[in-house]
Amino acid sequence: MDVNELELHPRILDAIKRAKLTVEKTLCLSAADLSRLTKLSTSDVGHLLYEVSKSVPRIPMAIALDIKEERCHASLKVRYVKTGCEVLDDFLRGGILSQGITEIAGESAAGKTQLCMQLCLTVQLPCHMGGLAGGAVYICTEDVFPSKRLHQMIKYFNRKLGPELEMQLAVGDHIFVEHASDQESLWKCINQRVPVLLARGMVKFIVIDSIAALFRGEYDFSEAAKRAHHLRSFGDQLRKLNQQYNAPVVCVNQVSANMKGDSEYGRYEFIPALGLSWSNLVTCRLLLSRTSMTIDINDPDTGNNAVAKVRTMEAMFAPHLPRDLCYYVVDAKGVHGLR
Amino acid sequence: MQRNLATFHLPPEHRRKLQEAGFQTVSDIIEVSPIELSKELEISKEDALEILQLVKGTNITSSTALEKLKEEKELPFIITFCEELDTILGGGVPLAKITEFCGAPGIGKTQIGIQLAVDVQIPSVFGGVEGEAIYIDTEGSFMVHRAVDIAQATVSHCISSIENNPKLKEVLNDFTVNSILSKIYVYRCNDYIELIATVNLLPQFLTEHPRVKLIVLDSIAFHFRNNFDDMALRTRLLNGLAQNLIRMASQHKLAVVLTNQMTTKIKSDDRGQSHVVPALGESWGHASTLRIVLFWQHNQRYARLYKSPSRKEATVPYTITMGGIRSIGQQNIDKEHKDGDHGDDECNPRKRMRLDE
Repeated sequence: MDVNELELHPRILDAIKRAKLTVEKTLCLSAADLSRLTKLSTSDVGHLLYEVSKSVPRIPMAIALDIKEERCHASLKVRYVKTGCEVLDDFLRGGILSQGITEIAGESAAGKTQLCMQLCLTVQLPCHMGGLAGGAVYICTEDVFPSKRLHQMIKYFNRKLGPELEMQLAVGDHIFVEHASDQESLWKCINQRVPVLLARGMVKFIVIDSIAALFRGEYDFSEAAKRAHHLRSFGDQLRKLNQQYNAPVVCVNQVSANMKGDSEYGRYEFIPALGLSWSNLVTCRLLLSRTSMTIDINDPDTGNNAVAKVRTMEAMFAPHLPRDLCYYVVDAKGVHGLR
Repeated sequence: MQRNLATFHLPPEHRRKLQEAGFQTVSDIIEVSPIELSKELEISKEDALEILQLVKGTNITSSTALEKLKEEKELPFIITFCEELDTILGGGVPLAKITEFCGAPGIGKTQIGIQLAVDVQIPSVFGGVEGEAIYIDTEGSFMVHRAVDIAQATVSHCISSIENNPKLKEVLNDFTVNSILSKIYVYRCNDYIELIATVNLLPQFLTEHPRVKLIVLDSIAFHFRNNFDDMALRTRLLNGLAQNLIRMASQHKLAVVLTNQMTTKIKSDDRGQSHVVPALGESWGHASTLRIVLFWQHNQRYARLYKSPSRKEATVPYTITMGGIRSIGQQNIDKEHKDGDHGDDECNPRKRMRLDE
C-alpha cells in the first residue's frame, strides 16, 4: 500500500512523505512520535492514523452468524477435509480442519503416514464429496516416499469411486512428492516451490512427514532457544501458506518418552516431540498410538480373515474437538475407524 | 485555574515555548485568543487552537475513592459459567479492566474466549450484561461451531431456570442461538500490522456499536512471537496496544480479555532448570489488570489467579464440556437437567452473581 493512495489532505500527505514514512512504519509509531516526526498537530495525527489503519488490507469484519451461514470472506469459512472414513470423520467433527496447522503425532508404526496418504487422496474429491477438489504436496523428510503403498491405496480408492470418477480425478497424477533432507532444503521447498504449486492452484493440501526429523537431530541441548526460533520461522511460513491459499497443512510429528511425570501429560507414556514452542503453533493436535488389542478384518483381495492391530487416535487439543479418543485399524485399503 | 501548564499533555516543544513566553498557569492563557497565542509562541494557528482547546477542555474532575468504589460496584461482571472461577475473580470477568488468560495450548483459552463472547449477551433480567462482543482472532482458531454449541447450552440453561415466568419467557424469545451469533463481531488478523490497524479502528466501531461490552483478543502473543526479532519495537508496539485497549475499556466500560501463550524460561544460574511462564516478557506482565494462568495437574484443568488488584491468589479446578466452561460439580448438575430433574437452587443464575456481597 502506497501512502500516496491515502485519502488525506495534501498537507498531511506532504508531511508524511517528507518524514519518509510508509504505512507499516506509521503504524509502528506512537501518536507522539508521529507528531514529532511529521510536525503535524495532534488532531491531524489522529486523522492520519485512522486513515492509514483503514488502508491496511485485511479481511473485513464478519458477524459470527454470517460465518455459520457461510456469507463471509472465503478464508473465514471453516472447511474440513474428510478422512475417507465416516467413523473418523464423526470423531473429528467433519475431518481435518482447513484453518491452521494440524499435527499428527505418534510412535513409529502408529499409522501416521498411512493417514496422511489417505488424506492426499480424499482431498482430491470434489467439494460436495468432502474434498477440496485439488491436489496435494507431500514433503518427505524421513524416508523415501512409500509409493508402492500409495498405489495399493489408490487401487482401492478408485474401486470405491467408480470408473467415471476414476478417469476424471486421476488421483495418482495430483500428488506431488518432495524430498527434503535438511532444514535448508525444507525452507527452500516451503518458500519457493510449494507457493508456486499453490499459486497455480495445482495443490490445495500440504503434508510434511515429518517436521520432527529435521529439528530433533541438528541441535544440541544448549541450543534450545535457537531451535525454538527456527521452529517458529518454519511454523510461521506454514501458517502464511495456510492463510494465503486456504490450504490445510498437516505436519507429522514424532513422540518422545514422557519425563515430566505429573504435569499436563501425566497419563501419557509418550508425548509429541519438539516442545512448547512448536505446540504453540499447532492448531489441532492428534496423537496416534498402538494398543495391544487386535481385531479380525477381512482382506479384500484374498477374502481371508487377517489380524490387525487396533490403534487409537486421540484429540489432544483442537479448538473444535473435545479431548477424546477413537479406535481405528490400518488395512490394505487404508485407515478405518472402529465404532 | 492555577494548574501549571507543564502538567498538560502537550508536545514538549509547545511546552517549552509556552514557558519561554511566560505562560505558566491556566489563568495566564485562558483569555488569550488563538491568533494572539500563535503570534506569541511563533507556532501555527492550528497548534495554538489545539493548545487552547486542550487547556480549556480539560476539566479535571476528581472523584473520591468512595465514589469510585460505588461506581465499580455498579458495574456488572461477565460470568464464566464456572462458579469457582467467578468466585476467585470476585463475580466474573470485570468490565472496564483488562483480563489476561495465559496457558499452554489445549488448556482452553479459546474456549474461555468464546464462552465469554456468549455470556456477555445474557439478558439483564437473568443478571447478565446484555451486551455484544468483538472477537479478534489472530490464530485462526475461532470456531463458529463451538460458538453454536456454547450458545445452545447457555440458552437452554436460561430456559431451564425461568419456571413459567411469562415475563422472562418473553425475554427469552429474543435470546436464541442465532441472535447470539449475530452479536459476535469477528475480526481476523494475519499479522501484527493488521492487528494494530484493527485496534486503531475499534474506537470508531465502538461509537457505532455502543452495546459492545467485551473485546476478546485471542491471542495477543501469536504475531509478536514468530519472526519478530526487534525486541525494543515489540515492547513499544505491545505497550501501544495495551494503552489503546485500556482506554477503550475505561471509556466504554467494557471488558477486555486477552489470551497469551506460555514459554519456557531457562534459569541461567542452575543448570537445566526450566519452568513455564507467560510469554511476551516481564514488561508485558504490567499490561493486564488481572492475570489468570491456566494449567493441567493430575489430569485436571486448573485456573490460578496470578495477579489481581483486589483478590488474593487462588487456584480452582474447572472443566470444559460440550456446553463450554463449567465447574467440576456443575457437570453433574447439567446431566441432571437432561434427565429432567430440576434443582431449583443451582439453576437460578442470579444467585451466582456477586458472591462477595
